[in-house]
Amino acid sequence: MVERKKYGKGDKRCHAEMGHKMNTKGRKGNGHRPEVTGSNSIYRKLSVRNMKRSVQDHLVYMFTMTLVTALMYAFNSLIFQNELERYFPVKLEGLMGMMVGLAAFFIMLIVAWLINYMVRFRLERRSAEFGIYLLLGMKKGTIARLYMWENILLGGIAFAIGTAAGILLQQVLMAVMFAMVRMEYRLRIRIDGGTFLMTVCCFGGCYLLALMCCRRKFKKMNIQTLMNAGRRNEEIKEKFERGKQMLLPISVVFILLFWKMFGRLSDNLQTALFIIGLVITIYLFYLGLSAWIICYVRKGGMAVYKGQNLFLLRQFASKMRTMQFTMGTLTALFTLALLGASFALMFSDYENTVLEGKIPFDVQIYSKEIGDAFVREKEVIEEEAVVSSYYRYHIYTDGGNAVNTWMLTHLQAWGAMYQNRDGTPDRAAIERMLQDEKGDGTYYTYDTYMGITDYNHLRKMLGYEKAELAAQAYLVQIKPRLEREVQKIGEDLVIGNAAGDGFLTCAGIRAEPFSQDGHNGADYVVVVPDEVLERMRPYYTELAAKLDGQAPFGLQHKLEQLLSEENPYAAGHAEAGLCRGSDTIISVAEPCMVRDNLMLELQYMLASIIIPLFYIGLVFVCVAVTVLSVQQVSDAAKYRYRYDVLWKLGLTRAATRCLILKQLAAYYLCPALLAVVISGRMILFASDRFIMMTGVSTPVGGFFGKSAALFLGIYLVYFVVTYVEFKRNVAFL
Amino acid sequence: MGAYIRICEVEKYYGNGSNVTKAVDRISFEVEKGEFVGVMGPSGSGKTTLLNLLAAIDQATAGHIYYENTDITELSEDALSEFRKDNLGFVFQDYNLLDTLTMEENIVLALTLQKKSKKEILAACEQILTLLQIEDIRDQFPYQVSGGQKQRCACGRAMVNHPKLLLADEPTGALDSRSAQTLLETFTDLNQKMRATILMVTHDALSASYCGRILFLQDGKIFHELVRGGKSRKAFLQEILDVLSLTGGALSDGRT
Repeated sequence: MVERKKYGKGDKRCHAEMGHKMNTKGRKGNGHRPEVTGSNSIYRKLSVRNMKRSVQDHLVYMFTMTLVTALMYAFNSLIFQNELERYFPVKLEGLMGMMVGLAAFFIMLIVAWLINYMVRFRLERRSAEFGIYLLLGMKKGTIARLYMWENILLGGIAFAIGTAAGILLQQVLMAVMFAMVRMEYRLRIRIDGGTFLMTVCCFGGCYLLALMCCRRKFKKMNIQTLMNAGRRNEEIKEKFERGKQMLLPISVVFILLFWKMFGRLSDNLQTALFIIGLVITIYLFYLGLSAWIICYVRKGGMAVYKGQNLFLLRQFASKMRTMQFTMGTLTALFTLALLGASFALMFSDYENTVLEGKIPFDVQIYSKEIGDAFVREKEVIEEEAVVSSYYRYHIYTDGGNAVNTWMLTHLQAWGAMYQNRDGTPDRAAIERMLQDEKGDGTYYTYDTYMGITDYNHLRKMLGYEKAELAAQAYLVQIKPRLEREVQKIGEDLVIGNAAGDGFLTCAGIRAEPFSQDGHNGADYVVVVPDEVLERMRPYYTELAAKLDGQAPFGLQHKLEQLLSEENPYAAGHAEAGLCRGSDTIISVAEPCMVRDNLMLELQYMLASIIIPLFYIGLVFVCVAVTVLSVQQVSDAAKYRYRYDVLWKLGLTRAATRCLILKQLAAYYLCPALLAVVISGRMILFASDRFIMMTGVSTPVGGFFGKSAALFLGIYLVYFVVTYVEFKRNVAFL
Repeated sequence: MGAYIRICEVEKYYGNGSNVTKAVDRISFEVEKGEFVGVMGPSGSGKTTLLNLLAAIDQATAGHIYYENTDITELSEDALSEFRKDNLGFVFQDYNLLDTLTMEENIVLALTLQKKSKKEILAACEQILTLLQIEDIRDQFPYQVSGGQKQRCACGRAMVNHPKLLLADEPTGALDSRSAQTLLETFTDLNQKMRATILMVTHDALSASYCGRILFLQDGKIFHELVRGGKSRKAFLQEILDVLSLTGGALSDGRT
């Protein structure tokens, strides 16, 4: 500690001495007014020395920049060195690159903001030092160059360490990616030119942009403003506080309104206005909060006279006032980070818990041709794999749409879309939807049925126990996520018996994974005794195959090619005649499905969403906490006398440490709590919809809780580091 | 045992081995209740070290400092903090007011740390603001007022708890002569009206002339002592200047 203090003083003295040396040189050189013409080596020394001091003063910033570089390198490698991509068909080529590239764009914006913020912040904090340089005769351009070199050196160190760490992190990331698609990865460390170049461009671009802005700032400076800059920072303007304090309740009311209204906004204009209102609220909240505290202190509220509250309240209000714009931006960053992480967790949860059940059969092929014997398909399968057994069967229909109507009017996914105001089915809307052949392929036009024999055969293929069905009964086989919603379907459905002189009764609901994204019905299939099928007509044909061992890579692709040759216009599931049911966020509706291949593709696609979202979340949080941390640590050094005064007034060291802890906690928690409140509503709403649409079993608050815990963990690490640094700067502690 | 504050054979050494600096070298003196004592001496004579020892900010290498019956050299870290809070007030050359607090709040802060009730705090604050004639700037921030007003506020903060000893380290050092005079008159008022015991470190002979007794320090030792007694301030100032001239002005910057 003592050494550090000595170093700091010595450093300043050294600057002054150098200035004098340079003056002398100027005088000797031309005999006119002292002009600094010191050699480049002196500037270099000065830059290096200042850079060293900056590294010590801004360890958290350096750590974050190193971390961001490492993350940048590792994630950029997914664009240039994605070893996983070669296992997937052409249609997935570049998917990960595109998603990571998109994330990289937003990250670049935020990192550029951080660098710009830090360069300006350090410039302001050292303005008196630069004023002395000017006073000693240095030219503005020289000082700007000096500062630029210092920043380039700082950036260079962070970049070098970050890139080295990034090369290792890239291997970890690849291992994680391979693990996500359940494949084995062997470490292979190498430096890729493209990845390196892109990282250099991203990082260097951010730095150059910030330094150019800074250069302009230097041009406008004069000795007077530089020398007084420190004092200006300390001036607290308090005007119209009573008016400003109203912004706090207004912000709170708007946030409450946001909680109540979010999810009910019916059109884009309303949503856009609400988002704009929310952004304005975030920024005005801090102005209102600081004004409210100031008014409370002025009014002499009871809490003001207890312990160190007066100091804490005033410190907090003052900081909120001077940092209101930054605090607003940090809140926005935290909100986006929490949203990103929560969405990543949702997709991750889907991948881990639901995806497996979406493709239960080794191979399954759909054909709308009733007589399709799947000859060519079988040939392709047999060329590539060893088949244990086939099962060809039909899905039947009675030509009615009673079950579809029930689904459209009872499932949460549809809300009141297909209901009249009195709750009865809106027949016209249902008819329009079901009859629309060019629609998006949600439900088949007519209800879908299956015979008990076919049903039990398929159950056996999947390893499920045999289902018993009486002659006058029916079963409803439904997607697992819809099980709770269809418990009363049996009370409403009227299905005629085989003889046509009576009705079947509902014998139960089955909800095992049964490939119901179009193959065995869309959302549901009604299982009836085989005799009942005689009164119905085959609707479409299915082939299910069981393989011995794993399906080889590319089988899915070959079958898809075959299908597109047979029906060149069937590009998507809807065009092929397949209906996915009520799945909207993620649907696995493919006319042919080879489980081992498709699972990999889907896992890879989900990874393309999950990884960039985590990437964004992680960087945003790190950037935000870095700004918080740097501000506080720097304040500790600048205002250490405050704590010294408190100590001399009789505050013990332990009490002073406790005071600092409270001060930092309030300062750290404020933007995080506001972000939690705002993002919480969005995430809870999105989680609810996601759970409803995909069937993941996590509780509604689960994703929000996990992402908040994740970021609070990162937060805590930075908080502890800041606290330790803060104490170090308040030397006597 | 009767003296209010007793400094007995106090030593403060810095460094170790052969490289020892004796900042305070076996100093002993006493301060009576309600006394206004000045400490003069050249740079490096140990004035500020002595003040810090009396203020319980620094620990003596040897010797004892008694406040009535309490020996502060025997107190623990936390007990010293409590002692400072209950018994001492500080006024510094650079004011050391907290810039985020108004003038009034700077004074209130010292009282809130004493865990007093709101009523007591407000009454005490009002009294000191009136006494120091800074009521009209109570809502101003330190950057909005003059140096003299800041220093009076610092005095208010130091005195509001009625400390046993008010310690002032070059309190007029950053003030113009008019503000310095006002502040010294304030000290005299505090000393006479509130019976405040004051120990002031100064370079300035004029400032020292407001004191009742002056201790002259050199090389960590008291080498002379002047007592004002019934003399006028002018006569006392002349006596101080005489002492300073004997030392070749080494004790003072010569400002009068």
